[in-house]
Amino acid sequence: MASRRKGIRLNWVDCIVFAALIAAAAYVSYRVDSVLEYRWDWSGIPGYLYRWDEGQQRWVANLLMQGLFTTLRLALWGIVLAAVIGVLFGIMRTAGRLFPRMLSRAYVELIRNIPPLVFVFIFYFFISSQIMPLLGVEEYVRNASAGTLAWLEFLFGPPKLIPNVIAGILCLAMFEGAYVTEIVRAGIQAVPKTQAEAGLSVGLSDRQLMRHVILPQAVQRVVPPLSGQFITLVKDSSIVSLISIQELTFLAVETAVSTMRMFEVWITVAALYFGVCFCCALLFNRLERRMAVRRP
Amino acid sequence: MRLSDEGLRVGMAAALCILVAAGACGERARQQPSAESVIETIKKRGALKVGMSTFVPWAMRDKNGELVGFEIDVARKLAADMGVAVEFVPTAWDGIIPALLAGKFDVIIGGLSVTAQRNLTVNFTVPYAHSGLGVAANRELTAGMTWPEDYNSSEVTFTCRRGATSCGAVEEQFPETTARRFDDDSQAAQEVLNGNAHAFVSSYPNPTLLVHRYGDKLFLPTTDDLARGNEAFGLRKGDPDALNFFSNWILVNTTNGWLEDRHSHWFKTTSWAGQVDLPEDSN
Repeated sequence: MASRRKGIRLNWVDCIVFAALIAAAAYVSYRVDSVLEYRWDWSGIPGYLYRWDEGQQRWVANLLMQGLFTTLRLALWGIVLAAVIGVLFGIMRTAGRLFPRMLSRAYVELIRNIPPLVFVFIFYFFISSQIMPLLGVEEYVRNASAGTLAWLEFLFGPPKLIPNVIAGILCLAMFEGAYVTEIVRAGIQAVPKTQAEAGLSVGLSDRQLMRHVILPQAVQRVVPPLSGQFITLVKDSSIVSLISIQELTFLAVETAVSTMRMFEVWITVAALYFGVCFCCALLFNRLERRMAVRRP
Repeated sequence: MRLSDEGLRVGMAAALCILVAAGACGERARQQPSAESVIETIKKRGALKVGMSTFVPWAMRDKNGELVGFEIDVARKLAADMGVAVEFVPTAWDGIIPALLAGKFDVIIGGLSVTAQRNLTVNFTVPYAHSGLGVAANRELTAGMTWPEDYNSSEVTFTCRRGATSCGAVEEQFPETTARRFDDDSQAAQEVLNGNAHAFVSSYPNPTLLVHRYGDKLFLPTTDDLARGNEAFGLRKGDPDALNFFSNWILVNTTNGWLEDRHSHWFKTTSWAGQVDLPEDSN
């Protein structure tokens, strides 16, 4: 870290590796071209990202960008909710009492041992069809005033799709929450026992001990694995397309089928996901470095 | 230790209560439509929720991302005649019947063909459209083969869309072959284009559109229908009022020729191709 060079100097090994990579990419694209019987036509794709609206006289997001925004909303709310679930259950997981420990253990094991796809289907058809009418989201949105609706639209996207998006968020958060729980548990348990003993010996209560001694140290430790989990969450959000949540993957299928441009659409979508996840990775890297500096 | 044992017992009792309550809720939700017709729900809500799936030219996205197609026209007119708004719920094809049963929408207007098996779980109205299944075959792989006898061999592979009637038709009429199922028609067609399968089965005009576009690779081994389908609205069971209403709506619009007119527009002409930005034919 101390001797950080400004420029990047390449030696001959780097050059060879670089050349090999280019050759491999060229070979793959050559093979794809000779095996794949496909007429490439990129002409319509930009129009499915943004289109010029004659009526409104401005550029508006078309299917793929609408899908991307939904994916971002899903991911953002999913992360917040998964973090809340994870911290709560993570603390319960390390509790002294049996009941909270059992409850959180049951939740984690149940979800970790079911494939995401299967969980998504079970959640959608059995759980969310019970929860959603109970929450009354649809009625609420239908009867909301214009002012509330504007806020809701900012937070959750187009009003008509809000029940749909919320079902997706709940599903994602429930699923990813289990993994966050385990990360939080590991973080708490990684704080040396002596810390807890020291805290107790100066007369801190259990709650104070958790708040002032254990959690601050645990948070520092869980940032790297947690950032990985959150990036996974962004990518996993594509699974909820199976239950018809109108996010990027779902709308990509719709676009691909309607325009008969399967590969062009999928390549575009891959680039969009990569962009989002890579930005997240950079952001978390910065966060990690910031947290590391604060370490005594 | 005693205390935690007790906690555990309380927890289990609580969990049991929740399960029973959830079960009871489910039971009530299932009974509701029979007591109160979905027609009433639609009127009260002021919107008809239609479950559909993207399928050219039944329902597809135009350049503006809006839904267009035969079914979209049907659902819009149906809602207009009921005096309510229409809300489309695009749904993955695999899950469209479970989604109807789970109450995600009021009715399926999604090119759903009537089959005995489906009819065991959903109610069908009278048909509002009749589709035919067609075949597009790879020229190179099927060179020298005669339709249909040579196609019924273990060497031959068909592709079709999972959950569609096309897969059933292949299994029934070509029992010796392998039917490979794909998530959507474009993937199934691509497999035949790449020469990994012999023929692709789908409802018209899909095979014709493909052959039109890849004339040098694909051809139609037959112009007869492999099978004929009857497409009808799908409804939840136990709602005679809705079944009666929708069936008679179809009856009226069949008699006055409106359905026939829209069907011809979407299935017999390609004047809408520019609307959805289909790629241009290069041959």
